[in-house]
This record gives sequence, C-alpha cells and structure tokens, in this order.
Amino acid sequence: MVEFLQNIVAGLETGSLYALAALGLVLIFRTSDVINFAQGEMAMFSSFIALTIWQKHMPYYIAFLGAIIFAIAFGFLIERIFIRPAAKASLVSKMIITLGLIMIINGLASAIFSTDSHYLRKAVVLPNIKLGGVVIQPNALFIIAVTIFIMAVLFYLIKNTMFGIALRATAQNEKTAKLMGIPVSKVYSLSWIIATVLGAIAGVLIAPTTNVSTTMMMEVHLKSFIAAVLGGFGSFIGPVVGGFIIGIFDNLVGYYLSLQWKTVIVYGLLILILIVKPTGLFGKAHRKKV
Amino acid sequence: MAIFKNKAMIYIIGGIVAASIPQFLEIGRSTMTMLNMVVIYSIIAIGFNILLGYAGQISLGHAAFMGIGAYVSANITAALGDIPFSFTLSLLLAGVIPMLIGLLLGLVALRLEGHYLAIATLGFGVAVQQVFKEWIGFTNGFSGLSSSYPRVFTLFTENGYLLKDREDYFILSISVFVILAILAQNILKAKTGRALIAMRDGEHAAQAMGVSLFKYKLIAFALSAFYAGIAGSLYVHLIRYTEPNQWGIDLSLNLLAMVVIGGLASIEGSILGAAFIVLIPEFIKEVPFLENIKNFSSILTGLSLILVIMFFPHGLARIGSQIKLLLLNRKNKTKTNGA
Repeated sequence: MVEFLQNIVAGLETGSLYALAALGLVLIFRTSDVINFAQGEMAMFSSFIALTIWQKHMPYYIAFLGAIIFAIAFGFLIERIFIRPAAKASLVSKMIITLGLIMIINGLASAIFSTDSHYLRKAVVLPNIKLGGVVIQPNALFIIAVTIFIMAVLFYLIKNTMFGIALRATAQNEKTAKLMGIPVSKVYSLSWIIATVLGAIAGVLIAPTTNVSTTMMMEVHLKSFIAAVLGGFGSFIGPVVGGFIIGIFDNLVGYYLSLQWKTVIVYGLLILILIVKPTGLFGKAHRKKV
Repeated sequence: MAIFKNKAMIYIIGGIVAASIPQFLEIGRSTMTMLNMVVIYSIIAIGFNILLGYAGQISLGHAAFMGIGAYVSANITAALGDIPFSFTLSLLLAGVIPMLIGLLLGLVALRLEGHYLAIATLGFGVAVQQVFKEWIGFTNGFSGLSSSYPRVFTLFTENGYLLKDREDYFILSISVFVILAILAQNILKAKTGRALIAMRDGEHAAQAMGVSLFKYKLIAFALSAFYAGIAGSLYVHLIRYTEPNQWGIDLSLNLLAMVVIGGLASIEGSILGAAFIVLIPEFIKEVPFLENIKNFSSILTGLSLILVIMFFPHGLARIGSQIKLLLLNRKNKTKTNGA
C-alpha cells in the first residue's frame, strides 16, 4: 500500500507538469487551430535561459522569472514570424511549420548552449516529509501547488473575464468573433504567449529530474500530447485531468508491470485511445461537414 | 525522340549513366558513401511521397519502418549465412515485414485524420524506437548491431561477389532505386494513383465517386512502409552498423523535410529532396564560418522547410514552373490593365 501511495504521489508530481504542457497545447489548438509540435523545444529553450541566469550566480527565483519573461517574448515572436503569415495555409502546412520549428529551435539550442546536460537546482530544498511511511518531497508539493494555482487562475480568466470570453469566442468561430469586435489577432498572440509560459514553467520545474539538455523535454512533450488526447483537445479541463491520469498511470506501469516497456505500453495506450475515442474524455464529437 | 517521353526509359538510362560514372572517375570513398546515401534516401522519400504527397496522409513515425527494415535485413543475412539468394531474400523481407506493420498503421489511419494521425504516428515511432532499445535479442540494444557486406551472384560463381567497394554498391542501390521508381511511376499514373489523389483532395467526394478509403489508405501506408524497409536494408549493408538512436524522430522529421522541400507529389522532387538533406551538411562543412556552428544543418533544414511550405508549396521540383506562372500572370495582368 505504501508503494502504491508513493507512486501516486510521484505520479501527481510528473502529472502536473504534463498537465501544464498539455494545457499550453490545447490553448493554442483551440484558438489558432495549430497543434504546436515545437512546444517542447520552446520550453527547453526557456529552461536553458533559466539555467544560464542561474549559473551567473543569480538567485533561483530571478532565473525562474527570467525564463518566464523570455518565454513571453519568445511566444510572441514565434507567433508573429512563423504562424501568422501562414494563417491562411492548410492545417497540414501549419503543422509542418511547427515541425520545422522543432529543427530550428533544437539546432539553435545546441549551437548556443551545446548539447551537454546541466544540473539545475530544485525549486524548494527542504527535508522530506514522512506521512505514514510515504515520503513526500516538499518540491513535489510545490510543483503540484504551483500547477493547481496556475490552473485556477487560468480557469478563472477563461470563465469570468472579458479576455476569457474573447478567447472562447475566437476558439468557437473566428469570423463571428471578429465581427463582434474581438481583437482576434491579439487573442492569438496572447494564447501563444500563455502557452509558451506554461511550457517554460513546466520545463524549469522538470529540470532537476531530467537535467537541462537539448533533449530534456522530449518525454514531457510527448506525454503532454497523450494527456491532451486523453482529456480531449476540445476542452480546457480535459488535458489537466488527462495529465494527472497519465502521470499516475505512467508511474504505476513502471512500478508494477515493467520499467523497460513502460514507454511502449503508454504509447500503445495513446494509439488505443485515439482509435476508440479520438475526442477524449471531455471533448465533444464534432461532425465534419462535407 | 519518343524514347524520352517515356519516364521509365528516362529512369533506366539515367540510372545506367549515374551508376557507370564512378566506374570511370576516381571518386573518394566518403563521397561515394554520400552518393549511396542520396540514392537510399531517395527510395524512402519516394515511398513517403506516395503517402504524404499523393494520399495526403501525414506520418511522423516513418523512421521506424526504415529501422525495422534495417534490423530485419541484418538479422536475416546473419542467420542465413552464405546460402544462395540470402541477400535478395533479406532485402525482400526487409520490405515485406515493415509493409505488414504499415498495414496496421493504415488501419489506425482509417479512424484518424490530420492532427490526430500525426500524433498517433508520432507515438508509434517513439514506441517502435523504444522496442529497438529494449529487444536485445533482435537489435542488440544500445551496443548496436553489425552487419555484413552483401554477397551477390552466389548462384553463378562459387563464392559469389562481395559488394565491398562503394562503387559496386552504388550499382546495387541505383538498380533497386530504378526498379522502385518505375514501380511507383506505374502505380501512381494508373488507377491507384488517381484514387489516392482523389482521396487527398476530398475524402467524402472520393468516396462518393466509389473510391474505397479503406483500400487506398491501406495501400498508401503499405507501399510507403515497403519503400522505407528496402531503404533500411540498403542502409544497413552499406554502413554495416545500426543502433536504435538512428531511427528516431530526427529521421522522421528529415524525411518530411525531404519530401516537402523536394516537392510533394513528385518523384523527381523526392530525389531532389533526398539530395538536399544529405548534401547540406557536407556543404556546410566546406564553409569556414558556418562549420563552427553546431547543428547548423538542422537549423537550415528547418528554415528551408518553413520557407518552402510558405512560399513554394510545390517544392524545388516545380519552383521553375511556379516562377514562370507568376511572371506570366503578371504579364497578363499588365496587358489587361493596359487594354
């Protein structure tokens, strides 16, 4: 039982990071209809910024803030330079653009920061808490709390503010939203900025476990896809739930079934979900018009 | 000259010319390896183009098929030893086994489209790569698997002929390439090709015209996996070594870049794209300023991919005709304005 709970706690920790990244994916997908395959690479780049600041003997929170500020500019620029000019292109073309971005950003990162992996400290360094045999790292609690806080703020924004209404309107129908006087292009910019920041936070928080390197976000990025698929690309709450489920499932499979074949089993699950229920747990089926 | 109207004849003549050049000229071994790689990547690019360019189905996991082809071929030649036709057999099986797995992926693709297909194939690619890493008995894991030079003509001579020289290997890869290019040409210019194009341009409309999506999606995936597997087999006997990290997302992305940069729905485009991807890193090595930037080729490939998809959606193969069309339109416009 203790091992089981221990795995659940570990699952919640990684799951919250998957949830953050997945929320970024869905935010972009809902507003601008692009699946951002470069989300992971962008988060990796932001993490390197945090690392560089931290290695200059700056306090950790300044490094964290630096990564977030960089992510704001980064998301804005990527949307302006690469995505907006292709607004009228087909879905596949847009997808291919973000795939090209993977190559560019990854290439840039290894050109600037080299391909070595670097240590970055944990956000919270305190002695572990023991709760009835289950060891809980304060850092894990911090990650879960940060995630829940960010989610709460985001959901409040989406549900209750003008920005949220504009965002949902744009997600539903761009043309009508425009006619209603919603500055659609600002909504696009903002959703890319928020998504990039979410990715950057996930990147900096995962860094102590994966180390900062050019491949650090591969796993989180792919898992966030599964989370988004499982929860459904059509809803905002879905990917969060999906993220937690995948985090816990991943840990349990690794512990009880096989650590080696964990990845294969989890991706098998992804393909299975896609076949059985492509809209996910919370998504609504949409019919394609001929 | 009627003979040059026939694409198959052009491929054959072009193949003979290309294969014979290194026999007369002294070309360095590393350059020959590179040329072989261009041919091998052309093969997989043609297959991928059938899928993406003609059938309009995206896949981000095709490196997996090339990897399966490579491992299957390396294992079979090692198991069969020196019996006649061992290489031919392994080459064929290296195509057929990925093809069967491709059929399975085609079944998945029946239920999915666009984004979801991309995600599913991405997951497929990562899962297969993980299998390569963990299935030690088949792949030897991270230590990698060595392979042998192919032994051909074992029926005619006692010991057969060992394809050790890169020049000789070039003849083999070019011949396989020509056969597969003609096969692709014939398939695509016939009923199947038209059905694939109809499916790409509108699934519902194609269905209404009696095109079976089930049949043609499976055909597209199976064919492209077959080409990928053959390319993998040729690769592993050329380099004689393979390890799991080669068959990851990087190669799948490079494949996509090849086909898009070279030209979607064009066999010539596939060749151009393959040459582009293989030669770019070599050219960068020659430029004194750029060679110091690590991974510059990946940056350049990504940039070209984006630029091509934004401004020249038909790729390098049709860049000339696209510019001609643009100029023509402008001329016509000024004419009508003048009148």
